[in-house]
Amino acid sequence: MKLTRPIACLMAAGAVTLILIASRDTRAVPSYSRQTGLPCATCHFAPPELTPFGRKFKLDGYVFRTKPEVTTEDKDKKTHDSALHLLEAFPLSVVFDTSFTSTSAPQPLAQNGNFQFPQDISLFLAGEWADHVGSFAQVTYTVQGNHFSWDNTDVRYANSHDLFGKPVAYGMTFNNNPTVEDLWNSTPAWGFPFTASNVTPSPLAKAVINGTLAQDVAGFGGYGMWNEHLYIGGTIYRSQHLTGAEPNPGTGFPFNIRGLAPYWRIAWQTVTKNNSLEVGTYGMHMKSSPNAITGPMNGYTDWAFDFQYDRTIPQFKNDVLSFRGTYIRENSSLGATFGTGGSSLIGHHLNTVQGNVEYHYGTKLSGTASLFDITGTTDPLLYAPASVLGSANGDPHTNGYILNVSWWPQQNVDLAVQYTGYRRFNGGQTNYDGAGRSAGGNNAVFLLARFVF
Amino acid sequence: MPRILFHLVLPAAISVCLVAVALPTSIHAQSDVAKVYKKNCVLCHAADGSGNSSSGKALGAKDLASSEVQKKTDEELAEVIAKGKVKMPAFSAKLKPEDITQLVAYIRAIPKK
Repeated sequence: MKLTRPIACLMAAGAVTLILIASRDTRAVPSYSRQTGLPCATCHFAPPELTPFGRKFKLDGYVFRTKPEVTTEDKDKKTHDSALHLLEAFPLSVVFDTSFTSTSAPQPLAQNGNFQFPQDISLFLAGEWADHVGSFAQVTYTVQGNHFSWDNTDVRYANSHDLFGKPVAYGMTFNNNPTVEDLWNSTPAWGFPFTASNVTPSPLAKAVINGTLAQDVAGFGGYGMWNEHLYIGGTIYRSQHLTGAEPNPGTGFPFNIRGLAPYWRIAWQTVTKNNSLEVGTYGMHMKSSPNAITGPMNGYTDWAFDFQYDRTIPQFKNDVLSFRGTYIRENSSLGATFGTGGSSLIGHHLNTVQGNVEYHYGTKLSGTASLFDITGTTDPLLYAPASVLGSANGDPHTNGYILNVSWWPQQNVDLAVQYTGYRRFNGGQTNYDGAGRSAGGNNAVFLLARFVF
Repeated sequence: MPRILFHLVLPAAISVCLVAVALPTSIHAQSDVAKVYKKNCVLCHAADGSGNSSSGKALGAKDLASSEVQKKTDEELAEVIAKGKVKMPAFSAKLKPEDITQLVAYIRAIPKK
């Protein structure tokens, strides 16, 4: 175990050395880039952070292209034949992640200093499917599962018209993760951190809209952006459990949506040549039965606010400084959980605050600093003691910071160093789990090499 | 009410939406220059050619009615559309030469609108 810290230090030093000898090549070729003929940096400050162009590309249904397609059109309307619009290049992309993670204190009876080769491999069906219809569809192989599994997916139809003399872009979305349809990087699905280890301990408490339902639901919704300023969207979700039986009996899954779970989103944005500002609100309401589709229910209502500001600095060769933040308030009524002895109270709340600032040194390098804080109702049954992952006092309070440096020697290659530090974890600084572990023991160094092609 | 919602209202709403998605590809014949402009140019140059779309402002897209653009010859404009320039992508692989010629004429007409 004593060798793990030197290994982490050596790898961090190696990564920093590589950063100092950055190359100048800056072109990437995933499927959107192949379809549009544009470099990754047109849509991304650094993936997955969207530029105003990238947001519009997503808003318009991922269909903008400059490359040829197989097409037939009955221009003279002399037949009843359908038209055809097929990309000549199949819109497939690959992301290959390999990583190294080391925590300050090893997890009991487990190896510390974990190489994952690969950590995961994702395949993307990302591009235009037909006229007005496009997708971001991802399947991911993970080492732990040793199989591919459905990941974030957003298939959408988009069009545009005029409304009150101003353009309105509108569309419909099928997706499997609340907020994955969003355009900004201040909401959970596409928010910071953009990469993460999958072997470090995670805090017990998490709002349902904060990734809890990711890939565990199927949703259908609509959206519109009026005059490129006002964005309104809404999606209704039902449970769809991966690996679960169909029709869904609910057994073995903590969240089974009763009826429909609505998600809403309102945002206002303004863009000038060097500034892009967004402020908005989003939220979700869900009634759910744990491990069943009938019987007692838990209710959750999440209200959230977010902002994002991107400032391009012409004096610094168009480097970009970004500020993002979100606050999520969750009010929950855990009647079903209380009835089975899983919580000592029915009414709960959870507050999640996250903010970050990022400096983009061109498209080659970025540095991000983030603070996060989670507080909520103390409940010794809901947040029970357990080694590493539990809470000794039933308090979900967790806070800390994340520091990230990402180097993109090419626009499709990411070498990142990320440090996560906890000042408090699951309600305590020392012996937070009742088994003697301190919050600082979960501090983690994460090194990532990502290849996108 | 929930039963009606799941058995009737929700499937009907989704069906209507899907039909709306299918209609444009089945009954529209998109060929005129305005539609070509809308599909390829509006993203950056905006519907009025001003370049005042959010992505156009961020990328510095040209105002197509400006003298800087209008003083170019038809051949120069066609070459920019076909081969791209600075941040503007090339459209020669997608648009036919006659589409590009029509787009040049469309751009010429913008200051008069």
